[in-house]
Amino acid sequence: MAAADQRTPGARWMPFLFLLPFLFFLLIFWVIPLVGGVKMSLHANGLGRAEFVGLEHYQALAKDERYITALRNSFTYTLASIVVIVPLALWLAHLLRATTRRLRPVMTFALLLPALTPPSVLAVLFLMLFHGKNGLLNQLFVMPLGLEPVSWLKDPDFILSGLVLQTVWRWTGFMTFFILAGMEGIPRVYYEAARLVTGSRWQHFWHVTLPQLRPVLLFVAVYLVVDGFSLFSGAFVLLGGSGGTADAGLLTVTYVFQKTRFFEYGTASAISVSLLPLLMLALWAALFLRRRTA
Amino acid sequence: MSAQGKTVSGALSLLLLGPFLMAVFVPFLWMVLGIFKTNAEFFQPLTSAFFPAHYEWQNVVELLEGKWVPFWDVFGNSLAVSLGQAFGAVTLSAMAGYAFARFTFSGKRLLFVLAVALVLVPRQLFAVPLFSWVNELGLSDSLLGVMLPGVVTGLGVIYFTQVFRQVPVEYLQAARVCGAAELRVFLTLLPLVWPALLSYGMIHFILAWHEHLIPMLVLTSETKQTLPLALAKLYDVSQRTPQGVQMAASTFAVIPTAVLFAVCHRKFKSSLSDMLVH
Repeated sequence: MAAADQRTPGARWMPFLFLLPFLFFLLIFWVIPLVGGVKMSLHANGLGRAEFVGLEHYQALAKDERYITALRNSFTYTLASIVVIVPLALWLAHLLRATTRRLRPVMTFALLLPALTPPSVLAVLFLMLFHGKNGLLNQLFVMPLGLEPVSWLKDPDFILSGLVLQTVWRWTGFMTFFILAGMEGIPRVYYEAARLVTGSRWQHFWHVTLPQLRPVLLFVAVYLVVDGFSLFSGAFVLLGGSGGTADAGLLTVTYVFQKTRFFEYGTASAISVSLLPLLMLALWAALFLRRRTA
Repeated sequence: MSAQGKTVSGALSLLLLGPFLMAVFVPFLWMVLGIFKTNAEFFQPLTSAFFPAHYEWQNVVELLEGKWVPFWDVFGNSLAVSLGQAFGAVTLSAMAGYAFARFTFSGKRLLFVLAVALVLVPRQLFAVPLFSWVNELGLSDSLLGVMLPGVVTGLGVIYFTQVFRQVPVEYLQAARVCGAAELRVFLTLLPLVWPALLSYGMIHFILAWHEHLIPMLVLTSETKQTLPLALAKLYDVSQRTPQGVQMAASTFAVIPTAVLFAVCHRKFKSSLSDMLVH
């Protein structure tokens, strides 16, 4: 790296001067609340002078069926949204590339609209898709097939799919945009070289486009994992802060929120802290994959 | 591929894209049309009453006059918080990114990993301790209490580290040879990376504009609310807000981010293309 040989003597404190504002805010608004959260999770429920209870909350969580349900739902939800969004966005980006240049910005913009919309507005618009008999999905697809209208938000078999569908609707366009930007950055020379070897466009996609897009796809996946575990507004408006029928749509943040509402701050923090190792695992996996690419 | 083949595949792509564009666009169209509907019209099956019978501005007027929520206060608050947060995030992250990209120092790797770890911890998870800490700092029910916690972003640091790595070294050396102080070097580089600054500022503005949980905990008085909070209140069934007013507020909530994106679109995409693949 060229940057290394530009050190000037006596300027060792220079990088820290640049880092200082960031580190200051990092400490105040991230490290301190995080430590506060860990501390809270080791104390009895309630704010203020709660007594120290050690790992009690964690032990209780291990036996708490709703916690297990929430974890399982969050996992399923996150995984499902990645599995649906990534291939779909790749395909849409590919289609967009084939259209005329003049139309492309308009279409990208249309696809991106949901990502620009506050999640609570999205949830309300989404209700129209799901809202009982009058919803579009039932009106246009389910009922014409002669089936009973599906109650998407009440039937435990469908709630989670409903939430996944909402995420797909929200993020697919955004991810398409990223992937499209990535595709347009791939040097044309690579394709010209590939054309000398084979004419199959599928092979071009597989051996040129996909490997070149790896950093983008990695970013997309990490983004969706984090978003999946922090979904609040959407599920909050759709399910009114509950987990839905039989907790079929109970996600971890919703559960944290429910505990907070009953002032069970210790338990709420324990749930949050218990997710950290899982998210760190995701980070490690991402970095590991990145290193293997490089 | 021949020119003709290109046209055919273009048309086919359009045909395949059609349903997706519809699926995204129709709900928004319905939202805007909903502004003009009476409650009775609104709840009819969508397929039979997609368009309103009359176009009247009654609902928009009621919303803007503040009959349901102090709309201009709320809108102004959201703008102030989001702009402030975006500006702060860009400043902090650009400076930190510059340090990571251009210097070697002990603890660099560790600090960088810490920044990356930030991305992966959703702030929502630690909303409660953050909230009680913000109270202790004396920032409860103040817009600063919502704005400041959001200026720290791991994503921004990673982004700008990448951006400054790509600035050709010659520029730096030229600036240094002229004897410019390090801070001056940084400032002279800023116009060069202008699209990147704008792009990240936009992304962060959008995220701040959408934030719901933290304002909900921190802000209590009615005139200090931000848009997502006001929207949640309007949507609440017990408030009996007319549906048309709800749709008008929803539309106004989308307009700033949509306009911002439409304006910055090109810069944003080219700066992404430059970065993502390398």
